[in-house]
Amino acid sequence: MRQWTEFDRTVSIPARIAIHVFKESVRDKVLYGLVLFAIILIASSYFISQLTAGQDVKIIKDLGLATIQAFGLFFAVFIGTGLVSKEVERRSIYSLLSKPVRRHEMILGKYVGLVLTLAVNVAIMIFALYALLGYIAWTTPENVRAAWDVAALDPVMLRAVVLIFSELMLVTAIALFFSIFLNTILSAVLTMSLYVVGQFNADLRNFEAVVDSQAVAFIAQVAYYLLPNFASFDIKAEVVHAVPVPLVYIALTGGYAVSYIGALLMVSMVIFSQRDFK
Amino acid sequence: MTRWLACYGRSVCGLIILGLFVSAFVAFSVLRERVYATERAEVQTIYIQSGAVLDRMALSFDALLADVYWIRTVQHYGSAKRVARDDRSYGLLGPLLDITTTLDPYFDVAYRFGAIFLAEAFPNGPGRPDLAISLLQKGIAAMPERWEYYMDIGFIYYWWLGDYEQAAGWFSQAADVPGASWWLRPLAANTLAVGGSRESSRLLWEQMYDSADSEWIRNEAIRRLAQLQALDDIDHVRALIQRFHRTHKRFPGSWSELVEAGFLAEVPEDPTGQTYVLDVVNGTLDVSSGSELFPLPGESLTPFAQ
Amino acid sequence: MSSYAIRLDGLTKDFPVGFWWPRRARVLDGVSLEIKRGEIYGYLGPNGAGKTTTLKLLMQLIYPTAGSAEILGRPVGDIGMRHRIGYLPELPYFYDNLTAEELLIYFGSLFRLSAAEARARTSRLLDRIGLGAERRQQLRNISKGMLQRVGIAQALINDPEVVFLDEPMAGLDPVGRRDTLELIRTLKNEGRTIFFSSHILSDAEAVCSQVAILVRGSLIATARIADLEFEVLGWELVVSGTDEGALVNLGLAGATALAGGRYSIDLPADRSPNFILPELVRHGFYIVALIPRHESLENYFTRKIEGLYQTPGKADEAVDGV
Repeated sequence: MRQWTEFDRTVSIPARIAIHVFKESVRDKVLYGLVLFAIILIASSYFISQLTAGQDVKIIKDLGLATIQAFGLFFAVFIGTGLVSKEVERRSIYSLLSKPVRRHEMILGKYVGLVLTLAVNVAIMIFALYALLGYIAWTTPENVRAAWDVAALDPVMLRAVVLIFSELMLVTAIALFFSIFLNTILSAVLTMSLYVVGQFNADLRNFEAVVDSQAVAFIAQVAYYLLPNFASFDIKAEVVHAVPVPLVYIALTGGYAVSYIGALLMVSMVIFSQRDFK
Repeated sequence: MTRWLACYGRSVCGLIILGLFVSAFVAFSVLRERVYATERAEVQTIYIQSGAVLDRMALSFDALLADVYWIRTVQHYGSAKRVARDDRSYGLLGPLLDITTTLDPYFDVAYRFGAIFLAEAFPNGPGRPDLAISLLQKGIAAMPERWEYYMDIGFIYYWWLGDYEQAAGWFSQAADVPGASWWLRPLAANTLAVGGSRESSRLLWEQMYDSADSEWIRNEAIRRLAQLQALDDIDHVRALIQRFHRTHKRFPGSWSELVEAGFLAEVPEDPTGQTYVLDVVNGTLDVSSGSELFPLPGESLTPFAQ
Repeated sequence: MSSYAIRLDGLTKDFPVGFWWPRRARVLDGVSLEIKRGEIYGYLGPNGAGKTTTLKLLMQLIYPTAGSAEILGRPVGDIGMRHRIGYLPELPYFYDNLTAEELLIYFGSLFRLSAAEARARTSRLLDRIGLGAERRQQLRNISKGMLQRVGIAQALINDPEVVFLDEPMAGLDPVGRRDTLELIRTLKNEGRTIFFSSHILSDAEAVCSQVAILVRGSLIATARIADLEFEVLGWELVVSGTDEGALVNLGLAGATALAGGRYSIDLPADRSPNFILPELVRHGFYIVALIPRHESLENYFTRKIEGLYQTPGKADEAVDGV
């Protein structure tokens, strides 16, 4: 048997755990159902679009991206909270942690595995959406197609997807964080609440315009910077209406997501390392 | 020392790394804002112009959402004002206010301030008294017992549109609403009689000041009264200049000439403390363009040479 | 290298109890133990005594309030040492969607095992614990007894030197229990150290060389089974070459007839066989067997514990030996 170096360990153990998480999720029937449902929803947007003249593509893109975001969100919360709290509740964590697995390696592995699952799910849904758009582009006569602001199979749409996926990764990290010390239901509720708050926290920044107290405005500003800002990930409207979104914006938002996730994972690893598993 | 490090070293390390991550994401946030100053809320408002659609989407949280949009409205108005005068655009004010009041039809502040924002002449506002009036009418439809809305419409006709007959009509309607202020009927009569006169304007603003239920309206009333005062001052100075012309056979070239000639004790200042501007080329008197009272309403800029 | 497989030194664990004003409940109080290599050590006590807590502290699933523990000379939590131990948790639950094979291969991969090695070992182990075609069924579908065996298998996947079993007999039918006890004996013969907890003293009696008794968080007694002096409760006398009538004449009523013309007689403790045997022989009986009945380990310790609690001040002492 070859000797493992510390580096091997660092990469290998979380990797194996990640693969295991992925395998487990793949076998989860509920997830299959959800993906299927999402695809049906995307497909049905085709019929909804028939009701409006000339606006088909926009509506399908709008609905398609929104569906992907909504379902992805649901996946992220559903699996993310189950990652740790379910294992603790079911006590399968005892056998795992008694193996030569460091606690933080488990967290890392779980997170990567979940992101992998998410990626596959999102990829499937994107594929379905593009397939539908491709079909529409193929069956629409030339002159109507010329009237569209944006081509059906617009690659710029992928920018929106990139941001949606970053958003989902962030939500997953939040779900994982809560599930470290709360039970499954509570972590799901808190994750969703934080998501809603994050949609509006940009308005916290403008509090000083409506609030008299300087102290409150300052607290609101701090809260704005510390709470996750989910609204900034949403460029669906721009992408669908051909408003340009610079790559720099995407890079900055992506960087925001990555550092926030890093912070969350760090805290998660620390808390998890200290925890007693009664 | 080393023992302490061994014990807490890892925690300290972890905290430092955590701090780095937190600074990183805050930095990204700040950087992104600096580069992309556009309010994202504005972009989204463009595509959800219909308040009715948003209302449906908001499920049972419309009142809360209305608050959010109100904050955005105020912020939009404030930030638009920070831009250089000529470049200002208040384009989203109308849609934002429409959305806010559709989400929450009882949002009193939105109607009243919204109308004030909308009617305000460029560059301090979009100068859309028509939009202001329709907003207030929307308010009346939702809350017909609010006599203030009728009064506000009358006010817009009076001050911004100069249509004294309409104004008087609306003041009268306001007076008819049970619980309306007692001075509305005399105000209606006065408007009909001498609408447009400085005296009736002063009366109107004094009443606004007395009845104001918020700081904002009170300050606005003070400002308007100061403007009227400035107009009075200008008339007074104009008369002095005419006397100067009679005695010196020419118009004064500067304030110092008037002061030396004994017509003025010192260079006159407007109620906010800014000196008036004597424009010898065009022969006009005005408040300084840097003054809060600028621009003065109505007929102030008649050249004194005539 | 330490000669001790396991060492506990003043191990203490408090848990906070209550939500608003948490009190500290002492679940484990200053437990100290030394267990040599190659032993089968029974960690005994009633439910709620703190046995599972001790095991969790050893696996570093929870952290001690005070005290320390070592396994194979390394502190608990040492990753290198974890490669050499195996653990079966109480009422084990693994991943529902996996099969027994997949579970073992997955756990094997967390050690230094290559895929091929893991597969080979999995196959051998599952044979050993008697899991046939069920090994390819998802774990949610197999019986509780099978799951327990899978649990033991996963504790052995890395060929451990020390094996920790928390209530390994729980949920097993008598055949399963017998098999498990047999397995434990075999593991010892392979040179491994076994540490298992149980509330069933007769199991411990069957396989252990040393035991410890834990009651309400405190170590009440430790002892070598061989050294224990059990009270003799009586004898079982088996004789032949007679009939019941003759026995009654000798004052031995209530004999049970066995096959082949033999009879089994229960002799109470106060009636020493020294007096009966010569009589029987003189009357032409053939003594087949004389078997003393000892008190069970259970009775032995109950007796000792009661004695301790009745003696003021003695209840807090840990009694080592007899």
